[in-house]
Amino acid sequence: MSTSTRKSRTRHSRSYASEERTAYLCLIPAIIGLTFITYLPLLAVFVLSLFSWSGLGSMKFTGMSNYIKLFTTDPYMLDSIRATIYFAVIAVIGSMIYSLCIALLLNRKIPARTFWRAVYYVPYVLPATAIYVGWSWLYESNFGLFNYLLTKVGLSRVMFIADSRYVVPSLALIAVWLSGNLIVIFLAGLQNVPRVYHEAAEIDGANGWQRFRNVTLPCMTPIIFYNLLMSLITNMQIVTPALALTNGGPGNSSRFISYLMYDQAFINNKLGYASAVSFVFFILIAVFTGILFATSKGWIFYEGGDER
Amino acid sequence: MSITKQGAMKSRKRKERVSNIISVIIIALVAAAVLFPIWWIVRTSLMSNAEIYKYPPAFFPSRWLLSNYRETLVIFKFWKYFFNTMMIIAPAVIGGTLTATICGYAFARLRFRGKKFLFTLCVGSMLLPTMVTLIPLYIMWTRIMGFQDSYLPLILPYLTGGGAFNIFLIRQFIMTVPRELDEAATIDGAGRLRILTQIIVPAIKPAMIVVGLFIFITLWNDLLQQMIYINSAEKFTIALGLTNFRGQLKQDWALTMCATCLSFAPGVIFYLIGQKYFVEGIVMTGLKN
Repeated sequence: MSTSTRKSRTRHSRSYASEERTAYLCLIPAIIGLTFITYLPLLAVFVLSLFSWSGLGSMKFTGMSNYIKLFTTDPYMLDSIRATIYFAVIAVIGSMIYSLCIALLLNRKIPARTFWRAVYYVPYVLPATAIYVGWSWLYESNFGLFNYLLTKVGLSRVMFIADSRYVVPSLALIAVWLSGNLIVIFLAGLQNVPRVYHEAAEIDGANGWQRFRNVTLPCMTPIIFYNLLMSLITNMQIVTPALALTNGGPGNSSRFISYLMYDQAFINNKLGYASAVSFVFFILIAVFTGILFATSKGWIFYEGGDER
Repeated sequence: MSITKQGAMKSRKRKERVSNIISVIIIALVAAAVLFPIWWIVRTSLMSNAEIYKYPPAFFPSRWLLSNYRETLVIFKFWKYFFNTMMIIAPAVIGGTLTATICGYAFARLRFRGKKFLFTLCVGSMLLPTMVTLIPLYIMWTRIMGFQDSYLPLILPYLTGGGAFNIFLIRQFIMTVPRELDEAATIDGAGRLRILTQIIVPAIKPAMIVVGLFIFITLWNDLLQQMIYINSAEKFTIALGLTNFRGQLKQDWALTMCATCLSFAPGVIFYLIGQKYFVEGIVMTGLKN
């Protein structure tokens, strides 16, 4: 670069203008994405939900009637909300407890820690569709592995994913099995808990449980919150098992909201109605994450304003 | 006094050793339970159907029937599905990582009007579930842009910074690169492009790999979007091919498990190669946010 341009860079106003130009240039992809992939579609989903439209032909404005129908005459909506919340609650609580426990064990002075960590992570790298197809064989009603184990310990057979009472917990168990990434994040968080706190607590005569309760747990709350949030958003959007295995059944027991939306939009061609489902879904997730954020101030511990 | 203290230390050491041994045993048992379903699927794929239905079931196949795989591959066009899946994943991963890096750089290093506003929009969109905007996007891609039976609706969204999360991740990493390096390079006469490619990119390479892996995993796990955008069997991905295969051969568990194992394979191989980055990457995201 020549000396003259170098000089001009040091002059404030011109360099600021060029900096700004570069910034906007760099951000073109993000601006396009935020506009056309995120926020306009969000607006569009609400607008579409006020219409009746099969995807072909003209759209008919129907106001709030899609919403009224959803909550009064729709045979699936309430079951869908129930199934989704039921699944998300078991899957989130189950995977949080499971992964925190495993991470705590892995955090001890044990041999080959990276090996074990890698093992627990394996399920997470397998493609979701294959996982559900594979597990459908383990859950098979007559010859599946789980029924063999049940009969072995003297219990009676269970139909698992073919039984409306068990399908959601069965799928939630798969979600727990898949939570290797949570373990890895928890473990990293545990290794970041300052050792001095533990040593101080030990000198004060705190036992293992007290140290966990008063040192480890408070230091881990930001990470627990992050994992809780991500796991909630992921599990609320569950759809793959319904698409690949259950088709929402048996009955409506696994007709999760995402699946209901897919079914109305792409099988029944009711795009307006399905948009109303989407918007209700949006509100539902917003409420859940809102509750999480609102309560978080009460229990998240930020260590002395330490910025990360 | 000191003797009793030493004794207490010793007994605590012993207690700690005992509890560590118990930890390892639990860790190993649970790890075996985690891997067991995968083994069960693999062993089923190598058995004859008669052996699958035997009671009590065998833990190892009496004969390893690799011929099951040959039979499966006749219907389950694994290589084609794999190639098709890569046709989506490769451009999305490369394009997404590059655009995320450029956008993250602008947010981390450059001053411009509206920065705070744009950044807030970006972070806010991280909480928006992708499922919500599925229908408008479907209408946009298929009706307005006219992409029928095409991979483009699956790839193009990743060329816009690869998602807000990835932009955010890259920004966080660039913030940790000392600004003095940029300034020194500027004094040496380097332009912004050279600073980005020769200072920032080498410093944040691990984060870029992580972004690439995230895009990979997202697309790898997707079934819904592939289902709505891809129609012809010619263009099936692994996920679509497997769903279709299962629909055709519902009762033939041996072959269905062969197809399942084949679908597992690329993920496992990528994991074994890039294990360090997979795990470290997830760690970084957890701590950087």
